[in-house]
Amino acid sequence: MKKSHTLALYADMDEAANALKELKSSGMSGFRMEDVVVKSPIDHPELSELLGPRPVYIQWFTLLGVLLGPTTGLVLIASAQASFIYQVRGGRPVVPLPPDMVLTYELFILSGVLMTVLATFVAMKLPGNRSPLYNASVSEDKIGILVKADPQSIPQINEILGRHKPLEIMGDQAR
Amino acid sequence: MSLSNLIQNWNSFRTRRPYEGQYDDAPYKWAMVIDLDACIGCNACTVACYAENNLPVVGKERFGKGQAMHWIRIERYWGEGDAMTSEFPDHGAQYLPMLCQQCEAAPCEPVCPVGATHHSPDGLNTQVYNRCVGSRYCSANCPYKVRYFNWWNYPDRAWPNPLELQLNPDVTVRSKGVMEKCTFCMQRLRAGMDKAKTEGRILADGEVLTACAQACPTSAITFGNLADKKSKVARMWKNQQVDLAKDSQEKSEEGIRGYRILEELNTYPSIVYLERVRNLEA
Amino acid sequence: MSHSVHSHPQLDVQVERKFIPKQKDLGADVTWAKINKDVLRSLEKPRPVFWVIFFSALALFSFGVYCEVYQYQNGMGVADLNNPQVWGLYIATFIFWIGMGHSGTLLSALLHIIHADWRKPIYRYSEAMTTFTLLTAALFVLVHMGRLWQFYYVVAYPNERWTWPNFTSPLVWDATAIGTYLTSSLLFLYMGMIPDLAICRDNARGARRALYRFLSMGWQGTDRQWANFKVAYMTMACFLMPLAVSVHSIVSTDFAVSQNPGWHVTSFPPYFVLGALYSGCSGIITLFIVLRYVFRFEAYMTQPILNKLIKMTFAIAMVWTYLDLIEYATTWYGSDEVAKADLIYRATGDYALQFWGMIFCAMVMPFTLLIRFVRHNYVVLLIISLILNVGMWLERFQIITPTFAKSHYPWTWTAGWWPSWVQWGIVAGSFGWFTMLFMLYCKIFPSVSMYEVKEMVHEQNMEEKALAAQTDVHEAGLVPEMKGGQA
Repeated sequence: MKKSHTLALYADMDEAANALKELKSSGMSGFRMEDVVVKSPIDHPELSELLGPRPVYIQWFTLLGVLLGPTTGLVLIASAQASFIYQVRGGRPVVPLPPDMVLTYELFILSGVLMTVLATFVAMKLPGNRSPLYNASVSEDKIGILVKADPQSIPQINEILGRHKPLEIMGDQAR
Repeated sequence: MSLSNLIQNWNSFRTRRPYEGQYDDAPYKWAMVIDLDACIGCNACTVACYAENNLPVVGKERFGKGQAMHWIRIERYWGEGDAMTSEFPDHGAQYLPMLCQQCEAAPCEPVCPVGATHHSPDGLNTQVYNRCVGSRYCSANCPYKVRYFNWWNYPDRAWPNPLELQLNPDVTVRSKGVMEKCTFCMQRLRAGMDKAKTEGRILADGEVLTACAQACPTSAITFGNLADKKSKVARMWKNQQVDLAKDSQEKSEEGIRGYRILEELNTYPSIVYLERVRNLEA
Repeated sequence: MSHSVHSHPQLDVQVERKFIPKQKDLGADVTWAKINKDVLRSLEKPRPVFWVIFFSALALFSFGVYCEVYQYQNGMGVADLNNPQVWGLYIATFIFWIGMGHSGTLLSALLHIIHADWRKPIYRYSEAMTTFTLLTAALFVLVHMGRLWQFYYVVAYPNERWTWPNFTSPLVWDATAIGTYLTSSLLFLYMGMIPDLAICRDNARGARRALYRFLSMGWQGTDRQWANFKVAYMTMACFLMPLAVSVHSIVSTDFAVSQNPGWHVTSFPPYFVLGALYSGCSGIITLFIVLRYVFRFEAYMTQPILNKLIKMTFAIAMVWTYLDLIEYATTWYGSDEVAKADLIYRATGDYALQFWGMIFCAMVMPFTLLIRFVRHNYVVLLIISLILNVGMWLERFQIITPTFAKSHYPWTWTAGWWPSWVQWGIVAGSFGWFTMLFMLYCKIFPSVSMYEVKEMVHEQNMEEKALAAQTDVHEAGLVPEMKGGQA
């Protein structure tokens, strides 16, 4: 069944929190708490707590990066030194480990950073995560609550959201 | 394939040089002895080098700016104290021909970002002009300052027509922006070694000389193959009790004159200088 | 002692009740909407003073380009470099610019990790400064090369001849470190800017809107985005701080790895890192004052924040001074006669003026920061922050030039070498290039982090609320009975 969306804007964080609490305890059918999205100009850990656990997996990508980057880097550097026409430089070993460590370290950082960035974009579904409902004021000073639900539940949700002094309720079935 | 190469030859890749007996099995290790007592400061070696290696004459102004290109230079030093008499100051003068020392552990080599300078199997410190990007780090790190940079496009002015006809066809004419230095007349060595190889032998002592050694009127410069124990150079090194792989030489008695310049910097040069003997009473 | 505290619970409460009012970093009138308005205004039509700065920078840069073209065509000889003096101003200024970048990372990464919130209004432009100083430094690597057209030999790329760069060379470490640092700090800057770019997108029109829409990549400030963002940003910060330390350590190995007197010093890496942070911090002070004036950021770049920045600069200056002095001490009391002679030559020889200039500008001048008048008078402070950076530039100059003038081999000792106008022109051009890029950045991207200042305001409000609640409770006489002290 196709889902509908509704977005309520709040000026006050406490009111938004109350609205979330009521949504959570309403226990109505046709809608799940996972489908509730809070849009805010800054991070609100207090509101996120009400939404339930939303785990972040970025650190595992980072771990992968910091493990793979330096090992492949060191092997590449050492084998490049070895496959270069046999050149002794300044009496040093052809594959000198301390200097190679310097580059390995840089590659450790670089691959860690790149994997983190990659993971972030994957996790945030960027670029191009165009949510159906958006209002520019959530990037200024308002807090938006976006709910995705079955169309028949929307009026009830709108009613709950409307009880907490929203500035506006937007969506297909808004007043 | 490169990884298996890495694993198979790991031990050789991890060897530090120089080590005792490094050239025992090698056919060649080029080395030199310069007797300062014999050097009269005539600059014939420098002239020969200019002719042999296509060195540009830079002119007075650029020379004054320190942009000269002499691969071998005659340095003049004055004695100090009693050695320097006011009546005959020339009495205290002494000369030192300075050229690339072809260090076994050359400070210039590990710092080059592109690997344009490295060690050849016959113990030469080579410079690959095509690879050089001109970062000048080798020169900065050379304690002897015997590396010369092409600050200008010298060929533009150095050999006005018809002088370009006297250029040595065996030697590259370097363009602006690359580093260059004494090669121990690599082109002569290369031709000689190739010829000997074709004939199935190794070069005899004295068969190939550097231009400077050839031109020196007092035979102050001795050039040869250190790997060949019977060569003149090898015997001189032995008599002077200089060991290629040591950074300080122990002499069994006073009066042995052989030394290597700035040996304490662990450069292991391939040129032994014989100290000048001076009669301080005369 | 603890026994007595337990027996007098009231005493504890007495201490707790005592509240020392702290000067707030931001004024009480700053609201979220005002932040948007003020910062977005900085992206609008520039004031005349902006154009004055921009075009003088452009003129300087053009002159630098002219000098570089001249050098490219005629050879490095036009720079009056010569056999012992192979590096000259190019490498000195290279280190200077690399160094300038480090403080941006200090502010954006380290202070983020330790939750020093005062960084929030000023870290964005510092991070941008990092990026642009790195771009400027990278120019000097190229300018300095004898064969600029072959620069790609330094890059490790697979080719049919199996030739690689020399991985043991500190210059290759440099190239790798700068590449890593530039990539990472650019990504860090960009990632930290995404929420702000979304704000710009929501308020812009026309071509700009398209640009911001593209760059903000659909950021909507959802809770999932924020949660991921926070983790990613912190992770990046944790990578960036050690990276910044490694970068200038590696730059110092250009010298420490070589065996020239005055360079072959074990303490060079920390000394360079601190010198970098030092010049970077005074650079941030300079830009603080300039931006505050040009973009009217008085509400965000406030005196309490400036005070903290100055305190940090002073502390770093003192650590740098210490490291500089122990470098001299180890040389002086060490057994390396050549290095000692080099040290004496620096202080008394041809470049004594630069040496003592450095001592005065970079070691003595920071003490003026202790004077209240200096901290509050922005014109004086601007001049002093510039003097500190002149000192740090002289420091780089006197690391390089005297060592070449008097190194191991006496025959190459030269006196009175001086760079030619081409070198000076390119150095001046680099300042123009940096200023130009930075000013452009400030007109295209928000130079104050809007969402983080909002966080600051939010926290200040929460604190005040909590404080008000506490005072109410206390005034109602409830506190003494409730708490028995925390001993």
